Amino acid sequence: MELRKYIIRRMIQIIIIFFVILTVLFLLFRLAPGDPVSMMVDPDMTQEDAEILIVQLGLDQPLGIQYLIYLKNFFTGHFGFSFHYGEPVVDIIWNRLPNTVLLFTTSIILSALVGVFLGKIASWHKGKKIDSLMTIGALVTHTLFLPWLALILIWIFAYKFGWFPINGMISEEVWLDPEAGFIARALDVMYHMVLPLSTLFLIHFGAYLLIMRSSMLETLKEDYILTARAKGLEEKVIRDHHAAPNAALPVVTSVGLSLAFSINGGALTETVFTWPGIGRELVSSVSQNDYPLAQACFLMIAGVVLVSNLVVDVLYAYLDPRIRY
Amino acid sequence: MPRMNVKQKMSSCRWVLIIACAAMLLTGSRLASTASAANMLKVGLLQEPKTLNVWRASDTWSRKVLGLLYQPLYVRDPGTLELIPWLAAEPPLFDEKALCYTVKIRPAKWSDGTELTSEDVAFTGNFINEFKVPRYYSKWKFISKIETPDKHTVKFFLKEPKAIFVSRTLTTPIVQKKEWTDIIAAARKTKKPLGTLLNEKIKNPISSGPFVLKEWRDGTYLYLQKNKHFFGTGQKIQGRLLGPYIDGIIFKIFGTSDASILALKKGSIDMFWWGIQPGYLEDLRGNRDIELFQNEKSALYYMGFNVRKAPFNDANLRRAIAILVDDDFIIKRILQGYGIRMYSIIPPGNAFWYCPDVPRYGEGLDREARIKKAFGILRDAGYTWEVPPVNGAGKVVNGEGIKLPGGQTMEKFTILTPPADYDPHRAMCGMMMQEWLRMLGIPAYSKPMAFGALLQQVKVKHDFDSFVLGYGNLSLDPDYLRNFFISTNDKKRGWNMSGYNNPHFDKIANESASAMNRDKRRSLIWEMQKIIIGDVPYIPLYDPKLIEAVRKGRFTGWVQMLGGVGNMWSFCQLKPM
Repeated sequence: MELRKYIIRRMIQIIIIFFVILTVLFLLFRLAPGDPVSMMVDPDMTQEDAEILIVQLGLDQPLGIQYLIYLKNFFTGHFGFSFHYGEPVVDIIWNRLPNTVLLFTTSIILSALVGVFLGKIASWHKGKKIDSLMTIGALVTHTLFLPWLALILIWIFAYKFGWFPINGMISEEVWLDPEAGFIARALDVMYHMVLPLSTLFLIHFGAYLLIMRSSMLETLKEDYILTARAKGLEEKVIRDHHAAPNAALPVVTSVGLSLAFSINGGALTETVFTWPGIGRELVSSVSQNDYPLAQACFLMIAGVVLVSNLVVDVLYAYLDPRIRY
Repeated sequence: MPRMNVKQKMSSCRWVLIIACAAMLLTGSRLASTASAANMLKVGLLQEPKTLNVWRASDTWSRKVLGLLYQPLYVRDPGTLELIPWLAAEPPLFDEKALCYTVKIRPAKWSDGTELTSEDVAFTGNFINEFKVPRYYSKWKFISKIETPDKHTVKFFLKEPKAIFVSRTLTTPIVQKKEWTDIIAAARKTKKPLGTLLNEKIKNPISSGPFVLKEWRDGTYLYLQKNKHFFGTGQKIQGRLLGPYIDGIIFKIFGTSDASILALKKGSIDMFWWGIQPGYLEDLRGNRDIELFQNEKSALYYMGFNVRKAPFNDANLRRAIAILVDDDFIIKRILQGYGIRMYSIIPPGNAFWYCPDVPRYGEGLDREARIKKAFGILRDAGYTWEVPPVNGAGKVVNGEGIKLPGGQTMEKFTILTPPADYDPHRAMCGMMMQEWLRMLGIPAYSKPMAFGALLQQVKVKHDFDSFVLGYGNLSLDPDYLRNFFISTNDKKRGWNMSGYNNPHFDKIANESASAMNRDKRRSLIWEMQKIIIGDVPYIPLYDPKLIEAVRKGRFTGWVQMLGGVGNMWSFCQLKPM
């Protein structure tokens, strides 16, 4: 009952915060210098043409009216038309979102699984060589500059060895082949995912490893671990069945939030690997002042982050019986 | 939960390995099979085209692709750059009395097999005028009516003489009436018909060009197939026997130049359809699989002044700055030699319209001589210094505290440039200019600014001192010269960004716009160039050379022209080796 009340209260807060974000986003884009039409530096565009275009894009309307149109577009789920694509924003987003979710969700899950596993091992061997090796390795990979790492991986594994494609998500050779079935295409996507996934994995797994290690070290000091040892349980059983599940709770929070942020797609990764996702669209739409598309991308991220926060809190209460709202 | 034993774990690992190997082998084998598909040209693009709606397309990438689909009546010959009939059968006939141009259409077909007729041409023109389609309306609005006496003849009646008619109006892409009739009918019923038309998603453009869209996978590739109905196939136009001889073009999208160049070196693409930055050249030159082409561009990079306000309304100050700006340094050091010095607003590559007889500021002078000459101009115009840049002994020193002819100290002078991540050359030019001007005591400051914000300041608000901007792809018709400096364009979003106002120039510019005789128009255009370079509202800086890279040993027949090898003629003449 308490949890239900808590969820309702949080939902109301989320709606208020989202409305604030909705308004701030609208204002931020309009206050930023430059407008979509003046960005079109084309001597073929006369002043008359520019004015016609401004009317067509609805930028001639007073700010209040533009805001109402923006709200209407939001509440109808349409988000308006992209200034540059000339397509409904919602279509562009739905087109790109699955690609982003596929790459980033896979990378987060993989990073978390490996990070938790290695973190568990590192903490169990605290102070030993294996612990130092893993901790230093995690720190180094986690602090690498992502575009640099991505380019190095491309150079070595795609260019020098030729094992993987340089960029993209699919090969036209496979997708233009009428005989290629679902499995061939799925394998092709997996093949293209290897390098971006490796880049993201190398950058992210260290964070989970360090969180898990630190949390495990705290857990191992708990009385129930001492009790387990006193009962004569095997060390491996104590580690994997008593300590690790409890120590993994902070990782759950971290993974939950990372999954939420994953829909912004990591603009850098998507740009370097030409992965056709939301991150690339976000960068391109912001740089070209494509208000409707950029706003929709940000709103989607904001919405998912807000909801994920709530989900993580509820999940926490479910996983840890000591937590009650 | 049951735990996995060692055997089970081994089995899981084996499956992961099998899947990974299968993926690699599968794609690898297909890559090998593609290598035998030698008739397919693979072209790397830096960004994905945004749309295939020819009326909406405002980005370079969409236009590159659309240029191979929708064709105009006339195109430029790659050698002479003269306009030659393309969809038209012969040069247009002009009836001066009736102000009427007659154009004969050659037998041609659309990619759906239907005939391309005068009706399609008239439809395109009427459509642009009815809906005031941005970018095209200004080239068609002076047409009073379009007649189609037969299916191969179009008559254009002009409201007034317009010099740009042939070079701009008749080079508009023609669309198929059948394709657009229903779209227009539906758009007319909406609140904003033009907006609806611009937002129309064209999934299967009906092409009159050498290629037709086969497939577009969002974000990854775009596949154009040879158009079997292309009118040029087997025809000799301007002495060139046209194909296409390739089966198609696959445009692959790359987010960065680094990835594109690696793909070119690896052989994943045959051509990177974008200029190669000087930093990559040494590496590419050493690669025996890569062929580099160097061509001129129709481009202009320049420094502009806000002549609406003091002290930039003083032509003497502008001339002195023009002398101080060392173009040779910019080309040799900043562009690493890959540029042409600009003396006029029209690039020298546009030979017919370029006037070589304009003032050449600071040519052949070293730094000291430049400072002395600029100092002399300003001193004679009444400028004074606390510390003059040339001392009593005639030696150049660092000038300080320059004062205007009225005695006021010159205020801080800002040179706006795009940021280095947008264009390192222009950002660096701004910094060098700052240093050169400071040597004369002019308190100049270079200020890199986000591109959108820069345009807002310069083009919309007119709140600036000076700026460094450029046009990467100027039309070969010189009408932009009129647009950039005519006083009627000195308004918000107008092209006269400097605010230049010279009634004499306006008169000649207007005459040039209606001069139907080409030679007469050329003399007017030359006169306009002399006036502008004499008054220097803009200091032309450079026209960068275009370096393009292709794979050797794959295709032959690249046609070099102003603007590079990525042109219609190349794609119509390339043959697999």
